[in-house]
Amino acid sequence: MSLHRRRQLLPWLFIGPGLLWLLIFFLYPLLNQASVSLMTGNPEQGYDLTWAFSNYWDAISEYKEQFGRSIVYAAISTILCLIIAFPLAYYAAFHAGRFKNLILLLIILPFFMSYVLRTVAWQLILSDDGTVVSFFRSIGVLGDDGRLLASSTAVIAGITYNFLPFMALPLYVALEKIDPRLLEAATDLYASRATAFRKVTVPLALPGIFAGSLLTFIPACGDFINAALLGTPQQYMIGNVIQSKFLNILDYPQAAALSFTLMLFILIGIFLYARVLGARNLTQAAV
Amino acid sequence: MAEQTRRRFLGRTGSLALAYALAGCGIEGTLEKAQKAATPIPEVTHKKVPLGNWTFSNWPLYIDKQVIKDFDKQFGGHVKYVEDINDNDEFYGKVRQQLQAGESIGRDIVTLTDYMCVKWVRNRYVEPLDKKNLPNVVNNLVDNLKSVPYDKEREFTVPWQSGAVGIGYNPKKTGRELNSVDDLFDPAFKGRVTMLNEAYDSAGLTLLSMGVNPTEASIDQILAAIEKIQKAADAGQFRRFTGNDYSTDLAKGNIWVAHAYSGDIVQLQSDNPDLKFIYPDEGAMLFTDNMMIPAKAEHMYAAETMMNYVYEPEVAATLAIYVNYLSPVKGVQEVVEKSDPEIANNPLIFPSDEIRAKLHPYPALSETDERTMKEAMAKVTGA
Repeated sequence: MSLHRRRQLLPWLFIGPGLLWLLIFFLYPLLNQASVSLMTGNPEQGYDLTWAFSNYWDAISEYKEQFGRSIVYAAISTILCLIIAFPLAYYAAFHAGRFKNLILLLIILPFFMSYVLRTVAWQLILSDDGTVVSFFRSIGVLGDDGRLLASSTAVIAGITYNFLPFMALPLYVALEKIDPRLLEAATDLYASRATAFRKVTVPLALPGIFAGSLLTFIPACGDFINAALLGTPQQYMIGNVIQSKFLNILDYPQAAALSFTLMLFILIGIFLYARVLGARNLTQAAV
Repeated sequence: MAEQTRRRFLGRTGSLALAYALAGCGIEGTLEKAQKAATPIPEVTHKKVPLGNWTFSNWPLYIDKQVIKDFDKQFGGHVKYVEDINDNDEFYGKVRQQLQAGESIGRDIVTLTDYMCVKWVRNRYVEPLDKKNLPNVVNNLVDNLKSVPYDKEREFTVPWQSGAVGIGYNPKKTGRELNSVDDLFDPAFKGRVTMLNEAYDSAGLTLLSMGVNPTEASIDQILAAIEKIQKAADAGQFRRFTGNDYSTDLAKGNIWVAHAYSGDIVQLQSDNPDLKFIYPDEGAMLFTDNMMIPAKAEHMYAAETMMNYVYEPEVAATLAIYVNYLSPVKGVQEVVEKSDPEIANNPLIFPSDEIRAKLHPYPALSETDERTMKEAMAKVTGA
């Protein structure tokens, strides 16, 4: 084999395993579900590919409420995660000293427990006769008959809690990379600490904010555990609908159509987000 | 040309994958298989073999674990007892593809409710039973369950327990005694009520409140009942639609009134003695859960040995005392009378004939009607 041919083949050798993996476990199921989403039929007669693009329109018009809810809940949770995780990551990166690793461990620690169990724990924390509810009742935030469980508040709290590490870790990585001398330089040039934070720390942390937001927002959009365990039908998200269509109703085409619609929404969202916040600032930050 | 390779490659593999994905297009339905299967059932003989490690799938809190230990000790082998059935449809949804493809689902007994057994028997997702291994079942099965429309000779199914679907509640929270299906819809309990997400149960009970016999109900009547549930749900009456999982909420006091299974409440009473179960004045739904051997199961003799074992009146009595549902085994009340007279006189476990007359079995719906009902109910439960 000539050197030239070998040169040509080498890259395939390297990306081969990864490519194969993607083909089998990503591309094939994706295309398969794409074709399912265009089928019509029922569980008894079976489903046939009829290129029923109306499945998509039906799915969107029938479940726009759940779509909207998924996006709103996920957005609120992402913002809450950012608000909570930023100081945490900031402290861990700049001021924690020898406790840095301990803090990181504590952030990851909940992952040692199953996701469902953690959410069930929130059922207990927020239960009507629990301490949290009685505290909020006593300070008047909740009425005497008010409740937290089975409400939007509980679902958003659950999502925020469950996805916090996905925000905190990328933020930490981004902040940790910041050279403290840049901040010193800023103060040398008569920037106040607030200005230095605004003009130096935040722009340099943008890649972390970007990554963290995506890692939180995308899975939160498709989440159904929190709404199922902490909410009521009035809180159900699109993930609950997809799950029930796949497992209970066995309406595979509509379930697939819903999944693809969700994916499309998320992709458009990410694209806009990257355009607005990402592209320009990200390149700036890298320079 | 080298710089084009990536694009070219992606293009090629993409179209290849597309072609492949679409080539096998269509998802096979169950109907064809069901028609093929509607042939005479062969007489089967399951050889007596060592039991080995085998698997029994059941609902949560549905057995006295001592029975499993005793069984292992007496017959050898090891039964892996898993409580992974929380909802008939969800369980079916999980294993359907394997059953359809003719693969084993890795379980040797599954316990499912009547209307789900209809599907499994019709589609031959089950193995026929060897009656020679089931002398206790033949002799001790109560007469009214000896034949059911979907399995006239009990060739595939063996009743595990029956039960009533009525109302469980906490009188301390509601502040009054309940006695009617309408109490589920009482606005005074707004947001403190759960309803079962199984349409057969929720529509059935609601039909009773509308003066319709659910066993004979037409699909239009059923849809009217679901609409009634929908209205109440939209007004925030129901906190959740549940499977068995209403039990923690009820015991913890998060909900006051639950559309509930009789046996669950008897069990929950040991945690929270305030709880009560009622057969509403209008009547209640009666269900039977049946043991079946899923198609291609590996340990059929072990499964049959277990089925036979739980039909010994003494074992059945142990179960009745623990699970507190209605036992399908003859002579259990007499055995229980000796050890636990209190349970033998508990109308939730051994209901009087008067109550039994008020218990209605599920309607036999066509596949189409069933699907219409389920879709309507799914809209109500928000999914």
